[in-house]
Amino acid sequence: MKILKLENVSYKYADGNEYVLKDINFEFYKGKTYAVKGRSGSGKTTLLSLISGLEKCSEGNIYFGEKNLKNIDLDRYRSNNIGIVFQSFNLLPHLTGIENIILSMDISKVNILDKRATAIELLKSVGLDETIGNRRILKLSGGEQQRVAIARSLSYNPEIIIADEPTGNLDHETENEIMKIFERLAKVERKCIIIVTHSKNVSQQVDNVFELKKHK
Amino acid sequence: MYILKNAIISIMRNKSRNILIGIVVLVIGCATAVTLSIRNSAEVLVNSYISKNEITASISMNRQNFNKNMQQDDSNLEEMQTKFQEISSLTKEEIESYGDSEYVSNYYYTYNLSMNSNIDKAESTSNSNMPNNMQEDRMKNQEEGDFTIIGYSSYSSMSEFINGSYTITSGEVSEDFTANNCVINSQLATLNNLEIGDIITIINPNNDDLTYEFVITGIFTENSTDNSMNMFDNSVNSIITNNVAVEKMINDDDEIKARITPTFILTSQNDIDNFTAELTDKGLNEYYQVTTNLDEINAEINSVSNLSNFATAFLIVTLVIGGIVLLVLNMINVRERKYEIGVLRTIGMKKNLVITKFVSELLIVSITALLLGCAIGSLMSVSIANNLLKNEVESASAEKTNISKNFGKGDMNEPPTMNIMQKNSIDYVTTIDATVDFKVLKELLIIGIALTLVSSIITMINISKFSPLTILKERT
Repeated sequence: MKILKLENVSYKYADGNEYVLKDINFEFYKGKTYAVKGRSGSGKTTLLSLISGLEKCSEGNIYFGEKNLKNIDLDRYRSNNIGIVFQSFNLLPHLTGIENIILSMDISKVNILDKRATAIELLKSVGLDETIGNRRILKLSGGEQQRVAIARSLSYNPEIIIADEPTGNLDHETENEIMKIFERLAKVERKCIIIVTHSKNVSQQVDNVFELKKHK
Repeated sequence: MYILKNAIISIMRNKSRNILIGIVVLVIGCATAVTLSIRNSAEVLVNSYISKNEITASISMNRQNFNKNMQQDDSNLEEMQTKFQEISSLTKEEIESYGDSEYVSNYYYTYNLSMNSNIDKAESTSNSNMPNNMQEDRMKNQEEGDFTIIGYSSYSSMSEFINGSYTITSGEVSEDFTANNCVINSQLATLNNLEIGDIITIINPNNDDLTYEFVITGIFTENSTDNSMNMFDNSVNSIITNNVAVEKMINDDDEIKARITPTFILTSQNDIDNFTAELTDKGLNEYYQVTTNLDEINAEINSVSNLSNFATAFLIVTLVIGGIVLLVLNMINVRERKYEIGVLRTIGMKKNLVITKFVSELLIVSITALLLGCAIGSLMSVSIANNLLKNEVESASAEKTNISKNFGKGDMNEPPTMNIMQKNSIDYVTTIDATVDFKVLKELLIIGIALTLVSSIITMINISKFSPLTILKERT
């Protein structure tokens, strides 16, 4: 089932004439994993920003289901429909893992009776126990932080999860574990997983790979 | 609700930052509490002075105006004297008419009457045994007595005892303002070997058959120093009694003339001009003028008013400096927390909620620190304000005790009869209550919240300006 459609998407910075992305057309489906590859400066992160509603495309349209992102509340879109996992995790360091997840649930206003229990369940689903979940973020390892970030992105049950180099700071073994989680989310929970990556290992484990080339 | 919960978590987990903000606000709160307390105490003291010193109006001769007009009319001395006698005394009816005014809360008057007695008068080197203000106004159309009988209508009218010119050394001023009681000068008592409880006889100088017996209830001394060249006090031949006793003497003899000096207690200082205009409408002679004690009251409260003004100026400076410091701290705070703003915006928190979270944190820290500062300030302010206002308090307290003594009432805090006899009793300040009361607390909270919100403006502007992606890119 098609969940996201890019239609002639182009992007250039407000203060520049050069296009970072030009006429991108692509469709993403539920239950599939995607890898976006490309050299540095090819516009991978920009594309991810456009899909996640952090930026607006200069030309063209992005459709979430049937809705054009230009016409919807992007804060609500980010808090309910799309989960974002960053290379640098972007968790709030003064909170614990569980608190980060609960805060995300609060922002999305998702109707969950016992948010703490749900947060613990989510952590378990990414391989972390409650003890680790009760630690402040800065006391967690990189792999643990990335798992918390993934659990947070799942907290409001979004249809799409996009990840910007999610394994960039992790060792090979942890990278594989993270990829297994994404694989399960796509195949079991029917999420659409979009991963921006440089890693060959990651590219080999996804259903579709597309490469961005620098616009000339 | 979750915003508040997260704001509290954020405060608890970022102690050093919030303690720094808290200390700044605490110092501001403390200084503000002390300043507000001092200002309020000064205002209480000023109000106390105003209530203590009621606005009183007296009617007196405008001699300058009289002399000028007489000279313009080429009047000779005899004509001037005749004219002067015509107008030199108000009647009781006139005073009652003037007192019947919406601008007058109460009034009293004093009789002065020249009579003889069965006791010896003191032969003063001064040409008169009357108070100075009476000397020029003596009545010429009657037999002159050896003694001045002064009749007061209440304690309030006994200004010489209130201002300390006369002090009772033995006995007291009687509470009964209807009986034939009197107080006499100690020199007169010594000269005639008189004591408390002795009876003296007052004799009408026009008719020796009209006599009145008075019981001596008190003996006083005169403390004024303007008679240093004389052997006796100015008041040595004065016999002080009440207006009821004097009115009986006047009623018994139509020929005898008494001088009545009225004092009107006005409802407010704003009524002075209206009262003056009303007296003119009611026929007050052009040679009379209305004088008030407004200048004396203003002079008395001037130093305290200045203290209040200084406190206000200090408060403004404290708030401006405190506001700037808070503003800078907030700027640093927002710069430090750009990453947090970016994360919150990225996971979908709306700008207004991010602003609410940050301002909530600042408000919680500020109000807590402000209340703490208020508590510390209130403890400090009692001693600071009391020290600053010590002289005023002590003089007010001493004045109260002295007046009691002047009336022969010993060290009592307040003669009970003063309340009974006076409609407007004198209310003296014994201590300054410089604690932070509800009014100060309310002012403090308003100032604190306003200061926090003003200093939060920079936070609001920055948060609404930041792009989450830019922040996160900077971080990366």
